[in-house]
Amino acid sequence: MLRFTLERFVGMVITMALVSVMVFIIMEIPPGDYADRYAFRKFSGTGVSVTEADIEAIRSDLGLDKPMVLRYFDWIGGIVLHGDFGQAFAFETSVVKVIGDKAWLTLGIMLTTLILTYAISIPVGIYAAVKRGSSLDYGLTIFSYLGLALPNFLLALIMLYFANKWFGADIGGLLSARYQDAPWSLAKVWDLIKHLWLPAVVLAWSAVAYQIQTMRATMSDELNRLSVTAARARGVPEGKLLLKYPARLAINPIVSTIGFDVNRIFSELPIVAAVLGLTELGELLLKAYLDLDMYVAGAILLLLTFIIVFMNFVSDLLLAWLDPRIKLGA
Amino acid sequence: MLNVENLSISFRTDEGLITPVQGVSFKVEPGKTLGLVGESGSGKSITTKALMRLLPGNASLSGETRITYSAKDGNEVEIHKIKPNARSLRQLRGGEIGMIFQEPMASFSPVYTIGNQMMETIRLHRGCGKREARELAVEMLEKVGISNPSERIDQYPHEMSGGMRQRAMIALALSAGPALLIADEPTTALDVTIQAQVLDLMRDLQRDLGMGMIFITHDLGVIAQIADEVAVMYLGTIVERGATRDVIRSPKHPYTQGLLKAIPSLDTLHDRLSPVPGDIPSPTERPTGCPFHTRCPDFISGICDINTPFEVSPVAGRSVRCWLHSDVQGGRSAA
Repeated sequence: MLRFTLERFVGMVITMALVSVMVFIIMEIPPGDYADRYAFRKFSGTGVSVTEADIEAIRSDLGLDKPMVLRYFDWIGGIVLHGDFGQAFAFETSVVKVIGDKAWLTLGIMLTTLILTYAISIPVGIYAAVKRGSSLDYGLTIFSYLGLALPNFLLALIMLYFANKWFGADIGGLLSARYQDAPWSLAKVWDLIKHLWLPAVVLAWSAVAYQIQTMRATMSDELNRLSVTAARARGVPEGKLLLKYPARLAINPIVSTIGFDVNRIFSELPIVAAVLGLTELGELLLKAYLDLDMYVAGAILLLLTFIIVFMNFVSDLLLAWLDPRIKLGA
Repeated sequence: MLNVENLSISFRTDEGLITPVQGVSFKVEPGKTLGLVGESGSGKSITTKALMRLLPGNASLSGETRITYSAKDGNEVEIHKIKPNARSLRQLRGGEIGMIFQEPMASFSPVYTIGNQMMETIRLHRGCGKREARELAVEMLEKVGISNPSERIDQYPHEMSGGMRQRAMIALALSAGPALLIADEPTTALDVTIQAQVLDLMRDLQRDLGMGMIFITHDLGVIAQIADEVAVMYLGTIVERGATRDVIRSPKHPYTQGLLKAIPSLDTLHDRLSPVPGDIPSPTERPTGCPFHTRCPDFISGICDINTPFEVSPVAGRSVRCWLHSDVQGGRSAA
């Protein structure tokens, strides 16, 4: 297992290095750079005529005149060595300051959503497979299709309405006003949790519907295996039997797509966030791109891809732990 | 030790109620082997699944079914009455009756070591600690002829050869010390030399442990080597039974005769193979009268296709369900 973990870890580091190059290239692709954008912003309508030399001066001020390769190494070196993600030009401060809290909140929403998705879909999927053909199973199937068909933003609106009406929940935001700028404390975390469940439920909704079907299908297959009958014929109690034999293998396709789920949550987040009035990274990413604020965009893209690559690493380790044949075959 | 009376099993299906096993009765004595022979679809596997209550949820036993078993502690267990979640059922499975299957690869879970699955069973039934269970498991692996058992115990099923896996499967089934072993075509998936080794092993183990055994196969040649008594099944009923030697020497039922003729022989290499003609009908299209009449070479029109034959005893210790051996009016009297 140690050898396998090391191999996968090295693989992950290489992937991350390649991803960082790609992210940097993607940042460079849009025509123009922040120097153009800055000059335009500052001097348009003022009657001052801007020469190519002026823009060049701004460019050298911002450090954007150096060759691309050099800038890449400056950038990635700063991140790896000092945790410095560069300058957020449009905000005239560092990227870390701009992204900071938002990154943690986004990560919080993602993790909560993931945990919620799996905590519901796996046991319910197992139950549906065991009770296949019962009215409860049919009910769950109908719910699943409903879950898949309902658009997220609509669900967010409905949930928001009822959450406010029944539970008196605050509308909008991930933190109550008084905690907005307060330092982190237990009370603030509790306040965050109270706000977090709503977007997490909205984001998990369709994934739960989808993964229940996945789990139900694979679990049904696994239940028919001879090894399950054989274990039953040895007197293994039913509850333990279900978890130890079929469920451990049935969970496989869900574990192997953790990375996809992270990606999906991030893609759906901006719309849900817009409805629920949350600040999160997706919105910032869009704005950074419009402003050609490349280091902000780069940092967000890098964080996101790192999370996905890291989740894939975790899912590889989980898979190897679930099914030892993977480790031996590698 | 095991007494099965009037076992009938029905399944609710989309095509309606089908009854693939009808009125099967047999006994198994300690230390003896009963061979159940028949083609695929004759209901022999379902019959043994019923003995351990392993049938799927849409199956049910008829009201007349009685399955009684005398447990190791001397208690009579009425298997047909046990509730599905009862503790006594879990004790019965594995602890009293062990089962081995045709596909050793598929009957082990691929994600646990052989030892893990053996120790689980041992600890469930003997209530002992991990270390003791491991010792017992190693001992059992040694008994079934696996070399280096203390290393093999930590291997996964896919790290073993086919014959080795079947030996491990036998060790697994015997690890909780059952008094009755059900072997469902345990040698069918093995090649012939290993098949002979496994049969030898099973016979030796049975003698050493004094177990009763039900041995399912479609191969009368295998039955001749291992079974004391044989019951030939066709479409869910036992059509002929008796001491193995007698049945093989002088089969009474045309189906048994056909099965014996179908065994290829080295003495008659130039002859064509003589299979039993036709296919076994589906349980949904069960023929009226004698279920075998559609394929029977000696079929008597007007009798076999109308009336179901009774079980008659032409010779002491033998019985057969066939109109050729009963007279139509007399019912149970011998022909």
